[in-house]
Amino acid sequence: MSDAITVRGLVKTFGRTRALDGLDLVVRTGEVHGFLGPNGAGKSTTIRVLLGLLRPDAGEARLLGGDPWSDAVALHRRVAYVPGDVTLWPTLSGGESIDLLGRLRGGVDPARRDALVERFELDTRVKGRAYSKGNRQKVALVAALAADCELLLLDEPTAGLDPLMEAVFQEVVREAADQGRTVLLSSHILAEVEALADRVTIIRQGRAALSGSLAELRSLTRTSVTVGVGDADDALRRLGGLAGVHHARRDDGHVTFEVDGPALPGVLTALAPLGVSSLLAHPPTLEDLFLRQYSDELAGLGLGPAGGDGDRAGVR
Amino acid sequence: MTAVLAPSPAPAPSRSAGALAGTGGLVRLALRADRWTIAVWAVAVAYLVRTSVVGFAALYPDAQARQARATLMSSPAATALGGPGYGLDDYTTGAMTANELGLWIMLPVAIMAVLAVTRHLRAAEEDGRLELVRSQPVGRSAPVVAGLVAAAVATLAVGAATFALLLTTELDPAGSALLCAGVVVAALVLASAAAVGAQLVGHARTANGVGMGLVGVAFVLRAVGDVQAPESGSLWSWLSPFGWSQATAPYVLDRWWPLLLGVAAVAVNLAVAFALVSRRDLGTGLLPERAGRATGRLGGLAGLTWRRQRTSILAWGVATALCGALIGLLADAVVEFAASDPQVLQLFGETDDVLDGAFAVYAVFLGVLAAAYAGTAVGAARADESSGRAAVLLALPVARTRWLGAQLAVAVAAVLLMLLAAGLLMGGSAAATLGDADQVARLTGAVLVTAPAALLVLGLAVLVLGAWPRAFPLVWAYVAYVGVMGMFAAVLPDGADLLSPFRYLPRLPAEGMDPGAVLAVTALAVALGSAGLVAFRRRDTLA
Repeated sequence: MSDAITVRGLVKTFGRTRALDGLDLVVRTGEVHGFLGPNGAGKSTTIRVLLGLLRPDAGEARLLGGDPWSDAVALHRRVAYVPGDVTLWPTLSGGESIDLLGRLRGGVDPARRDALVERFELDTRVKGRAYSKGNRQKVALVAALAADCELLLLDEPTAGLDPLMEAVFQEVVREAADQGRTVLLSSHILAEVEALADRVTIIRQGRAALSGSLAELRSLTRTSVTVGVGDADDALRRLGGLAGVHHARRDDGHVTFEVDGPALPGVLTALAPLGVSSLLAHPPTLEDLFLRQYSDELAGLGLGPAGGDGDRAGVR
Repeated sequence: MTAVLAPSPAPAPSRSAGALAGTGGLVRLALRADRWTIAVWAVAVAYLVRTSVVGFAALYPDAQARQARATLMSSPAATALGGPGYGLDDYTTGAMTANELGLWIMLPVAIMAVLAVTRHLRAAEEDGRLELVRSQPVGRSAPVVAGLVAAAVATLAVGAATFALLLTTELDPAGSALLCAGVVVAALVLASAAAVGAQLVGHARTANGVGMGLVGVAFVLRAVGDVQAPESGSLWSWLSPFGWSQATAPYVLDRWWPLLLGVAAVAVNLAVAFALVSRRDLGTGLLPERAGRATGRLGGLAGLTWRRQRTSILAWGVATALCGALIGLLADAVVEFAASDPQVLQLFGETDDVLDGAFAVYAVFLGVLAAAYAGTAVGAARADESSGRAAVLLALPVARTRWLGAQLAVAVAAVLLMLLAAGLLMGGSAAATLGDADQVARLTGAVLVTAPAALLVLGLAVLVLGAWPRAFPLVWAYVAYVGVMGMFAAVLPDGADLLSPFRYLPRLPAEGMDPGAVLAVTALAVALGSAGLVAFRRRDTLA
């Protein structure tokens, strides 16, 4: 039982909309798994199926070895959830909401709760209806993170948080991971996922478009390299001939190009005799990976050349 | 609702009318969102009014029968729940309609108008829609005007539809026009007063409470006034918008001038509302909000439900209990008046029978109030589900049946306690006025025996929530149906109340106890509720 979450061929339709269309997702125990996709890709639907709030039409979903629908109550003792759009009870203060959720779970460590309240700088006396979006989000985060559970299902948990609180959130999630908890982090804040996740799954129109560790995914995509050399024309000629090098171009004394992951060793060998004076290698960011997956949609929106050969990764 | 402002062509620069800019678009938006609600209200009210009038004519075909009815209606108990009694000396079908039905048209239409105003003013502001709207070239007062116009259109539609159907009856068109105008004006006065209240408080639920409170106060003021002196002879009646509309005495005096008071009141309310709206920030009320507790003591779902519902439960409970007490206090007036008029006894039998008959009718009235509360209790559960609050709880180790069951348990307890309190107060005050201690137990029993019907409404609401949540408005339609049947089954065609649970319960104390019927209705209520819980466990949660 080394996988906290196993989803295979999951299908969920709402009327004519196919929200999940054969989704596969594996989250290993103890990892922070980034779950990426634009609005409407099916991230929230997946999490709601995993919580037993929605019943899948087809496919299989296992959560901590149990069935999310029929074992919901038993599983929920071991799972904490933060929705992306938190609605609180309008007449309950934030503190009352946190404690209510804690008691329904079967008790919360007050010291841990207070520590989280302090770190997130939450005023717990404010009534639910008077909180801003970010503060509502903090209430849900404190309630979920104060719980002692194995798996955190976080559905765009930082929507509305300011950068300082975003940093606190990342710190707290890292601590949770260090304690051996598993985290499924749905997000479209790519920097956040890049900072936290061991592995990511990119979902697109209800299917997993790409899944793996960040290192694996990076090796699938090109690294952009800029070198300063004595004879740029010569360098351009030599590099341009190598397999796996794309878009080589010169810019004064610099040559800039993109390299497929597997071709990188060969390129480094070829660079060695060229008298390199400076080297800037820029591995693909998650943003590059993500945009590549959605490149045809971007093209459809008229947003430039992010198609097959073109690349966003470049020298700045 | 997915109503969307249609993209409009570039606005003519000269058209911006300051605080009122953009009103037209907002009115269209509001009417678009409300169009079905308005249509259902108009058709339902108009149809029920026509059916009742036809029922009056059939049930009291000649002057003698109507005169006997008039004698009965002159009793304080009937006056309190009816009208000031114009034309009782020559009780035509028209006079009967205005006196006995008029208030019961005004009351629901006023509630509809008040809810429309608070919905458009505060609810939109609370969920942030208004912020989006106000960021457009839209004036500060425009949403107030739009909300009021939407309420006015709804009220006018109900009034016009009712008038149109009344034209198909034997009633005088001039009187019908005045009756319907009275309904519209009373509703608009209360709606505009609710608009003022909505500026004072910070939230939609509170604003709804303020609006409903105003309707209740208006109802009680005219009840007190009319009981003190018939034909609007008391100042109290003239403090109530319902009193003004009733003072027009449709079909009897046919005077229009009392409606001028209403028109003036609407103007004053609007002026105050506009003055207030320019003084407060978006998303706040003029009255300050208190801070809450930093840590919570709420221990569970029942505690949460009570915390969320207590205002509603207490409001419904106090209203029901006060109605019970009022009915009990009027008991000796019923006896006096029965004894004073041999004709009544001839028609309705012994004095005790007259009294018990009246008590049986009012017991059902109290049961209907409890049933309406039951509908709101399940409606609150549905609102929690569609807002996403339920999902947060269901993601905890909380079974669905526990989540809904805890709310049901609170609702069942509230229904029973509310009826017990109303029965005890009705029995106690009747015992005091009649000097007959036995009434306490008799009337408490009479009121409590309606509980299975209220619980059946609760069970049905749970079934709709579990099996067909999007059809929840049907529950309100059913509550309205049960209410109308509880009050007016006697004048409606035979079998109209076949679907009302109150029909099948024994009418204590006028009839004997029928344990079989009580058990059957209770069993059906439990079955519906259980089926609802099972269906709820099987379906996807909303939102």
